[in-house]
Amino acid sequence: MLNRFHPFSKISHQLRLDLLDMIYHSGSGHIGGSLSSLDILISLYHSDIFDFKKDHFVLSAGHLACALYTVLASKKYFSKDLLKTYTDFDSILQGHISKDVPGVEYSSGSLGQGLSFAAGLALGDPRHTTVCLTTDGEHQEGQIWESVMFAKKYKLGNLVNIVDCNGLQIDGTVQDIMPLNNLAAKYVQFGWTVTTVDGHNFFQLIKALKQAKNSDYPNCIIAKTVLGKGISFMENNYKYHDVKNLDEKIYLAAKKELL
Amino acid sequence: MRQAFGQTIDQLAKNNPNLYVVSMDLKSSLFLSDFATHFPSRFIECGIAEANAAAVAAGLAKSGKTVFLCSFACFSPAINWAVIRQSICYNNLDVKIVGSHAGLMTGELGATHQMLEDIALMSTLPNMEVFAPLDALETKKITAVISKSHRPAYLRLVRPSTPIISNPKNSFTIGKSNILKKGKDVTIIGYGPILYQAFEAQSVLQNQKPNISLEIINCSSIKPLDFSTILKSVKKTKRLICIEDHQKNGGLGQMVASLFLSSTIKPKFIHLAVDNQFGRSAKDIYKLYNYYGIGKNSLLATIKKIL
Repeated sequence: MLNRFHPFSKISHQLRLDLLDMIYHSGSGHIGGSLSSLDILISLYHSDIFDFKKDHFVLSAGHLACALYTVLASKKYFSKDLLKTYTDFDSILQGHISKDVPGVEYSSGSLGQGLSFAAGLALGDPRHTTVCLTTDGEHQEGQIWESVMFAKKYKLGNLVNIVDCNGLQIDGTVQDIMPLNNLAAKYVQFGWTVTTVDGHNFFQLIKALKQAKNSDYPNCIIAKTVLGKGISFMENNYKYHDVKNLDEKIYLAAKKELL
Repeated sequence: MRQAFGQTIDQLAKNNPNLYVVSMDLKSSLFLSDFATHFPSRFIECGIAEANAAAVAAGLAKSGKTVFLCSFACFSPAINWAVIRQSICYNNLDVKIVGSHAGLMTGELGATHQMLEDIALMSTLPNMEVFAPLDALETKKITAVISKSHRPAYLRLVRPSTPIISNPKNSFTIGKSNILKKGKDVTIIGYGPILYQAFEAQSVLQNQKPNISLEIINCSSIKPLDFSTILKSVKKTKRLICIEDHQKNGGLGQMVASLFLSSTIKPKFIHLAVDNQFGRSAKDIYKLYNYYGIGKNSLLATIKKIL
């Protein structure tokens, strides 16, 4: 079914505006990846598949903080007004995610560590599901593959790793910088259950998340996404991995597209 | 020391169902086979993958466990330092990093395995506490105390069997040093089995200079450090020697020197440590100690110089 018919598409639209405002207010932020991962996070937090008062969410790619902040605010973990303080000196909303933020269990920013942490948490709390969000570029970190082996060895059926695959990283394409080739095949080879979805299609995302819950094997959901999704001149442009001094002209141009 | 650690962990686990061990294929080297046999579901083997192991330990701690992350110091905390920094320290979780085979004492295994930078790496991290037991007896006490602290900690162990020099009656308290031997002329501080060199030096002095006495302080709690005990001793002796089986850079001596620079007390101070060099193999560790200037003879020469 077309994504625009899904009730979450309205939320997605509103949160893209919130995210843009937040980054414009601060002047800087990882806008590209935040826009690519936003629909994944909405599917996690706005559906009733998981209860994150008991289940766990680990944002391994801590630079996607902006997306998580808007989603947490939309779920009333904290006031939406707080978004305006993002990266301020006395704000809990740092440039990379911190556990000081209500609803956040793990502080991150250095890539490659979160999946191991999520695996430890899944092992220590077998009665609940631990969901981790990583990125495709992050899979260049060797530690990811250590944790992939570990999760299989300990049969962590309560672990879900969602990979935000937008194909880009800070300096260019994943393919140019260090190709991952067939990521799904790699996970299958390591003994995981793998599903590939359109990371902006809520029907597909929710179906995959439901299937991933309570599995016998660790689960990997490869979500094919678009960096900068929703703002045409940012889409698939690695230069929008992050922005510094986002000026009014770009802000207004972006906003016009979202309105 | 390693055996004492393994026995203590096994005993503590009997009364603490939340105590976990995360291993990196060095179970037998850290005497953890009994623990692994008695508590198989709490013995988590990560294989030769220190980065993953450190964050797995952090995740387990997040679920309410007290986790001992056990390997050689040259692998953990050396290979996985950035993971310890973010996943354990920044997230402030109950993980104890146990780094065995520290220092030149690792002997035959040579430079790669003689970890001389662990105290520097660990003490610089916010939220991390750093401990280096004097002997097997103190290893048992420190292991038991940190198992209840609910904070990140580093425990430094050595490879060989070493003499028991701590007092069985003394208890271990985080942030407290203890005076192993009272004296009036020179204060010797350090941590770990190298302090035995100070007792050896005192025996020689007894024949050569019977009027000279050393005050020997065990700084097994490196961070937090009990500066007041050192200060009180130095007020009396006016002379301070720090001896350690570690690099000079980032070692206890530098921490103490920095504290004295901002204090009104200015003792004569000499720091005996490995000076910007890697180690090397030897069957006899005392040959290494002499070569790197941290053995009994170097200490005696330094005492004579400082007097």
